[in-house]
Amino acid sequence: MWRRYGDALYTLVTFAIFGFETLALGALSISFLLGKAAGIASTPVEEILFAVVTSTASALALLGLYLLTYHFTSAMRDRWQAERLDTWTEKWIGLALETDPAGGSGDVTFTNRLSQPAIEAVLSLLEAVKGEEGDRLKEALIDHHVDRAFLRRLQTGHLAARLDAIERLGKARLPVAVEPLLELVGHPKAVVRRMAIRAAAGTLATMTPEAELDEPSRRFIQTLKGSALQAGVIQEALLLLETRAPGVLRGLLAEPDLPDALLWVVLETIGRLGLADMAVEVALSTTHQDPELRAAAFRALRRLGLVPDQSQLPLLAALTDEVDFVRVQAAHTATFLPAEKALRALWPLLEDESWWVRRAAAGSMAAHGEDGVAALTRAAKTHADQGARDMAVQILLEAGVLDAAAARQFKGVA
Amino acid sequence: MMQTPQSTDARILVVDDERVNVVLLERILQQAGYTNIKSTTDSTQAAALYDEFEPDLIMLDLHMPGLDGFAVMEQLDGRIKDDDFLPILILTADIRPEIKRRALSAGAKDFVTKPFDRTEVLLRIQNLLETRYLYLRFDRQGVREGQAT
Repeated sequence: MWRRYGDALYTLVTFAIFGFETLALGALSISFLLGKAAGIASTPVEEILFAVVTSTASALALLGLYLLTYHFTSAMRDRWQAERLDTWTEKWIGLALETDPAGGSGDVTFTNRLSQPAIEAVLSLLEAVKGEEGDRLKEALIDHHVDRAFLRRLQTGHLAARLDAIERLGKARLPVAVEPLLELVGHPKAVVRRMAIRAAAGTLATMTPEAELDEPSRRFIQTLKGSALQAGVIQEALLLLETRAPGVLRGLLAEPDLPDALLWVVLETIGRLGLADMAVEVALSTTHQDPELRAAAFRALRRLGLVPDQSQLPLLAALTDEVDFVRVQAAHTATFLPAEKALRALWPLLEDESWWVRRAAAGSMAAHGEDGVAALTRAAKTHADQGARDMAVQILLEAGVLDAAAARQFKGVA
Repeated sequence: MMQTPQSTDARILVVDDERVNVVLLERILQQAGYTNIKSTTDSTQAAALYDEFEPDLIMLDLHMPGLDGFAVMEQLDGRIKDDDFLPILILTADIRPEIKRRALSAGAKDFVTKPFDRTEVLLRIQNLLETRYLYLRFDRQGVREGQAT
């Protein structure tokens, strides 16, 4: 009913309680009846009591019977549905792997109108398999007009039905659904927009692109540009594009009037996907007027693990950026500059007013190997600023270069 | 001459909480000629099945309720001998590099992204099994040479 576990125990306890109560009240009713027959219980009060006891016993008996019947029938129904689902799963697998292409044998047959278990089974399979096998299943869905039924439900005014249709289309990944799904990204309800873009992205991921930026990708880009989707939702959709993601991300970066919020998501996604061949495009944003975007560009470069030549000067300049979180990201990214250049530029940041910048600078220095560790050790001993010396010691301790006793000595605590 | 086992004789253990995925993989493997397949949708059984079945390859889902793929690999880590090469092929819909890095450092050898392509799955299995058999062959050869000397 509303529990997932302990059904048998719940039924047993409920049955025991109701059974006990029913038996007790039943016995009481019989004794009242016998007393009445013998003329013992004859007052109106006793008759009312008798009626109350009898009706309560009957109600409990009925309720107990209902609960037992409910559990029995729902268990039977669940088992029947699971069996149907298993049978259909086997059937669809046979079709997908071409071991049972005719689809006419067994307990179930491919009729014109597919049952719910048949649809559930094929949708689950489409989440697991792609390629030729997936295409065979999609063809079967289209042959049985399931796509039309889903697309019709997309247009319904009932929110739950519409969400259900979006979810099913997302699982089915039918190319024909991309356009209607993208149209729903302009829907006033956020939940519809979110589900629609996810379903569209998942579908696009299974479609072999005709070119790096084909028409469906271009349509996806324009939809994102004009949408009111949150950054996290857009990023998720871009990640769902899988192998199609680089083309779409490159297309977005090439858009002349890309909103800043969308550019930020693009930079984050490039970094998260580790698309190193897009480092040059990312580098263009390292000098953006918006500090959030400068920081995002440096963060992306750090995730890509490289700094293109043309970004070295902007990176060095960003180490003295007026905004502290830009300096933090620039300091982290300086890990990928040539050691000599990086160490010279990072040294002054050890006495930055921001603790985060000092930490990022020291961490970045330590990442430069022996030269970095030597520079940090020198900073720990000789830097004029107490905060710089402390941070250098802390990073050397965390890197395992110093032990706790040595770190205390450096700090003059011991 | 040391006999190299046929890869279709390989013992393959499939661990995935989605029954559909398990059945699909079983059928794909059977169709490709693999006969020694065991599977479970209950990840808590993975370690016990490993002990009992001694698989040549494990196909493991990463995101499972209760014990996830990382926890299963942690459990197996204590069971797999240091000098053994047991390929673990990860089945995942999560393509993020950090997840892949984490899985690789936990003992995974290769990945198949869901929804998966049948040909790709079979090729990856074949490659991993070949590596395992080569490893076993050199291992046995080493033992034999050690005994001879």
